[in-house]
Amino acid sequence: MPTISGLVANGAIVRIEVELGPHEQPLRLLYGTPQFVTWLQEILAGASPPSRLLGHLAPAQQIDDLFYSFLSGAPLVFNRQFRAVRAEDNAVWELKTPDIRIFGWFMAKDCFVAVFGNWADIIKDHDLYRGYRIAIRRLRRELGIGETLCVKGDAPDDVLSI
Amino acid sequence: MTFFRFDIDARARKAGRLMGRVRRELLKAIMEERRAGLTQQQLAQRLQTRRALVNQKLSGEAEITLRELADLAWALDREICVELRRPDQMAGDNIAPRTSTIGYQPARIIAPKRSAD
Repeated sequence: MPTISGLVANGAIVRIEVELGPHEQPLRLLYGTPQFVTWLQEILAGASPPSRLLGHLAPAQQIDDLFYSFLSGAPLVFNRQFRAVRAEDNAVWELKTPDIRIFGWFMAKDCFVAVFGNWADIIKDHDLYRGYRIAIRRLRRELGIGETLCVKGDAPDDVLSI
Repeated sequence: MTFFRFDIDARARKAGRLMGRVRRELLKAIMEERRAGLTQQQLAQRLQTRRALVNQKLSGEAEITLRELADLAWALDREICVELRRPDQMAGDNIAPRTSTIGYQPARIIAPKRSAD
């Protein structure tokens, strides 16, 4: 049965960090697949969006603030309209900024694994939601992840304790 | 690689997080007022603006100016607390890394959006 430390040790997932304030400790955990980390590196290198940006912040700033609010335990869901986290089918969750969408799953409450990141416009234009759901389910199966490292609920309270 | 630090430069980080924090504080106050019966439509009417414009500001699609922040605080009956402090050093604080997994580079602003007037 896989464990989080085992998945990290064999390179299946990588822990993702951002700088927190001097008095802050991470209240949630964030991991990503190596493929997702490569995508993050492309964003940091200034990857060009497919169209005009919707948000007024640069994509890297949007992701930094998303990761910071996730890791520092800030509220992520205010109402249906204003939320940075949203449930998909198949125990897949989406983290979002105005221009970026990140898909993955929760291994445990407050512990997210990011698998895919992409521009919101591309995902909407090509309707990639279903493909991402299927690919994430397949990845979980390949990693041998069953009930123990996959939160099944689809309410924010099921995956976030704060 | 067992961990990856998503590392944008300090200047871009400070700006992005400040704006994110302001939006979250506003949303928190709006949800509190909504529970007391204030709709987003009524909030927009108080501000004599369109609801869609307020939503764009709150979602991060449009920048919130200081004037707009003050207006929103007025409409929500909230005080704004502003303080600039020197970072204090205390035992047990996190220490910002001097080296980076990717190198310090300013976040490149791609196709900056003009504010909608």
